[in-house]
Amino acid sequence: MESTGAKFDVTKLDLWYGQTQALNQVSMKIEANSITALIGPSGCGKSTFLRVLDRMNDLIDGVRVEGTVLYDGADIFGSADVIDLRKRIGMVFQKPNPFPMSVFDNVAYGPRVHGLHARTAAEKRHLSELVEKSLVNAALFDEVKDRLHKSALGLSGGQQQRLCIARVLAVEPDVLLMDEPTSALDPISTAKIEALLDELKVRYTIVIVTHNMQQAGRVSDSTGFFLHGELVEYAPTKEIFFNPRDKRTENYISGRFG
Amino acid sequence: MRRRGSVARERAAFGVIRGLSLLTIAILALIMGFILYKGFRFSNEVRGTVLPYAERSPDGLALVVGGGIDLDSLDFPVLYGMYTDEYINWAKISADDFDLLPIAIDPAKPDGSATAKLLFGESADPQWGGLVKTVPDAAAALALLRSTPGAAAILPVDALRASTDTKELRVVPIRRLMLAANEDVVALVDNRSIEDLDDAALARLMGGAVKNWKELGGPDLTVKILSPPAGSTLAAAVASGRPLSAAKASIAPPSMAAYETALSGTSGAVGYSLAADAQAAGLAPLTLKTVESGWNLTWKYLVEAPRLSGKVGGISTIILNTLLMLALTILIAAPIGVAAAVYLIEYAKQGPLIRVLRLGTETLAGIPSIIFGLFGFLFFVNILHFGFGLLSGCLTLTLMILPTIVRTSEEALKAVPRSLREGSLALGATKLQTVLRVTIPAAAPGILTGLILGVGRAVGETAALLFTMGSDYKLAKGLFSSARVLSSHVYLLFAEGISFDRAFSTATVLILVVLVFNFAARRLVGRMGGVK
Ligand SMILES: Nc1ncnc2c1ncn2[C@@H]1O[C@H](COP(=O)(O)OP(=O)(O)OP(=O)(O)O)[C@@H](O)[C@H]1O
Ligand SMILES: [Mg+2]
Repeated sequence: MESTGAKFDVTKLDLWYGQTQALNQVSMKIEANSITALIGPSGCGKSTFLRVLDRMNDLIDGVRVEGTVLYDGADIFGSADVIDLRKRIGMVFQKPNPFPMSVFDNVAYGPRVHGLHARTAAEKRHLSELVEKSLVNAALFDEVKDRLHKSALGLSGGQQQRLCIARVLAVEPDVLLMDEPTSALDPISTAKIEALLDELKVRYTIVIVTHNMQQAGRVSDSTGFFLHGELVEYAPTKEIFFNPRDKRTENYISGRFG
Repeated sequence: MRRRGSVARERAAFGVIRGLSLLTIAILALIMGFILYKGFRFSNEVRGTVLPYAERSPDGLALVVGGGIDLDSLDFPVLYGMYTDEYINWAKISADDFDLLPIAIDPAKPDGSATAKLLFGESADPQWGGLVKTVPDAAAALALLRSTPGAAAILPVDALRASTDTKELRVVPIRRLMLAANEDVVALVDNRSIEDLDDAALARLMGGAVKNWKELGGPDLTVKILSPPAGSTLAAAVASGRPLSAAKASIAPPSMAAYETALSGTSGAVGYSLAADAQAAGLAPLTLKTVESGWNLTWKYLVEAPRLSGKVGGISTIILNTLLMLALTILIAAPIGVAAAVYLIEYAKQGPLIRVLRLGTETLAGIPSIIFGLFGFLFFVNILHFGFGLLSGCLTLTLMILPTIVRTSEEALKAVPRSLREGSLALGATKLQTVLRVTIPAAAPGILTGLILGVGRAVGETAALLFTMGSDYKLAKGLFSSARVLSSHVYLLFAEGISFDRAFSTATVLILVVLVFNFAARRLVGRMGGVK
């Protein structure tokens, strides 16, 4: 059971919301520096699975989890510190959720809560460099450089989503979890974020939930198909799309393409 | 058919709704307008005998007072009272808090006899008051005027002009013209007597339009208007006073003596008279009804300290006390209230205990303030021995407004989307960091609304404060010093019958304080970048 180079090693994961089971015996290895897409019909448990990875389900009353999730070989439900875990595993939500503060403060939020104070001039410079770098990496800097100190709520939906990505990047995480990050966006913003994913993959491990088959096909290295809380098929993306082994996968994909 | 009916119904409903909303707005505007108008302007019906025409220098004399006395003009009867010991203080005359020092030039001196004549007419036995200080000449009077704030002097205008420095002094015009009538006119006949004359009745009477006193509610007598003898002081005063249209005189006596005899001796006679002469000759004055109006809320009222229970002076200390009370109350109530709301929403397990607590706060919010006052009196004033003072009052107010603050803060926190909290937690922030840096700022506008509501309730509170904070109108010296605030001042001015006008101008200030506070809070929310 030594680390196999997988970023996440999930084995026999069961999850219940009270009495209803949302995940059933899910086992999955997620490779480092790759993009993994999670697809499946609505309500099949994709978000739930994603939220297990940085323990966001802890926040919901009545959630029970069984099975193991190893992150870099360590059990995330074990002695690991949740705060530290969430710091290393960033999450971008389906709906952009910028804080009601300035663009700068949004991006600086993470570093600040992790103890980066901007008291001296050097610290200030460091913080603004970090903010700028994150915005650049999220392909947003050029659009907001003149309004860094204006409210983030004035940005467009696509800009807000990239701001949320920048906000996560500023914490310098190791893994990026993205739950339908482009579902609320127009094609241009979507294209920008997809291009971004390709660049980010070099440094991060990315897990992305999407309903958009083309998107999964375009950006991901491997794809997992969920149905009724089960991981039906998990394979390199090309195989899933062109040579699915399971009938249900094929139905879902072909149904989607019409 | 059915469609048309529903459209008509729709339209009728819309009409009713619009009518009601416009009515509401109109009523609100009316109330606000009325209070503000009464606050800024006073306008009272006053009854008196003196006509509203002021002479600046009657008989070549002037009434001079110190610049600190706030007086536009003075009725002769009041002037008379000043020099006959009826008044010892300016409070009842000009609402200034000085002892009165009436000064007159020695009647034995040439300048002095004029003063005696002004006050007492041709009376053989002038009744000088004991307070009156006689001085040998105008220079001595001016010196005294400058050194004594409550001094007043009747001086020859020439002497005043000759004086180099009259800057600190003020000449007060005198109103001494009145209407005198024959005794038969004012007599009570068949339980009826002549009514008080308002401006219109006065104009009709002296314009010759009234033929018989019956028309004014008096006895059945023909009106006979006397015109003052040419060249007399009275004629000059009548001419300079611009009173009424030229009187249609039916009798024109040749001399003052004949004029006075005619006035008292002719049944139904009426004519102008100087107050001093009428008094000396025992003529019956007609009562007049005039409307006095002017600025109610003046700068002076805002910046001066109140004296004599607020009868005199302004409300500066009371405004400051109010601000102190608000600051202290918010300082205590806001942190407690917000903390309680944060606990209830963010931390507490939603169970029966929380439900009971919530029911409790809701009930408390509806309890009449007087009950909080009773509690505060018993608990803070007596049991804890805080006494009547700022602290007891503010703690009572805190208890009173806390439920409101907690409830509105709870609603505001509840309205913060879950996604914001998750966004923060997903970045690795702790729960406390999330609450302090994201949830509370996002809820700030709602929380502030709650605070404004609370402050509105606090600033308008009277009953609870009288029991706990006391009613001393001096500036509060500390937490335990009794303090009067605007609302209790309004109440006391009204309840103790001190001044209705002052109650209204204080009320206006109170409204303005609330407005300023609301405005400032809104600006603050805007600055914080909260969602408006
Ligand atoms: N907080 C919750 N409490 C109870 N049940 C939940 C909760 N969140 C999700 N579920 C249930 O768990 C199941 C999986 O939900 P999940 O959100 O993971 O689906 P999903 O695959 O992300 O769907 P979608 O594509 O619509 O986002 C659903 O049946 C859902 O109703
Ligand atoms: Mg989902």
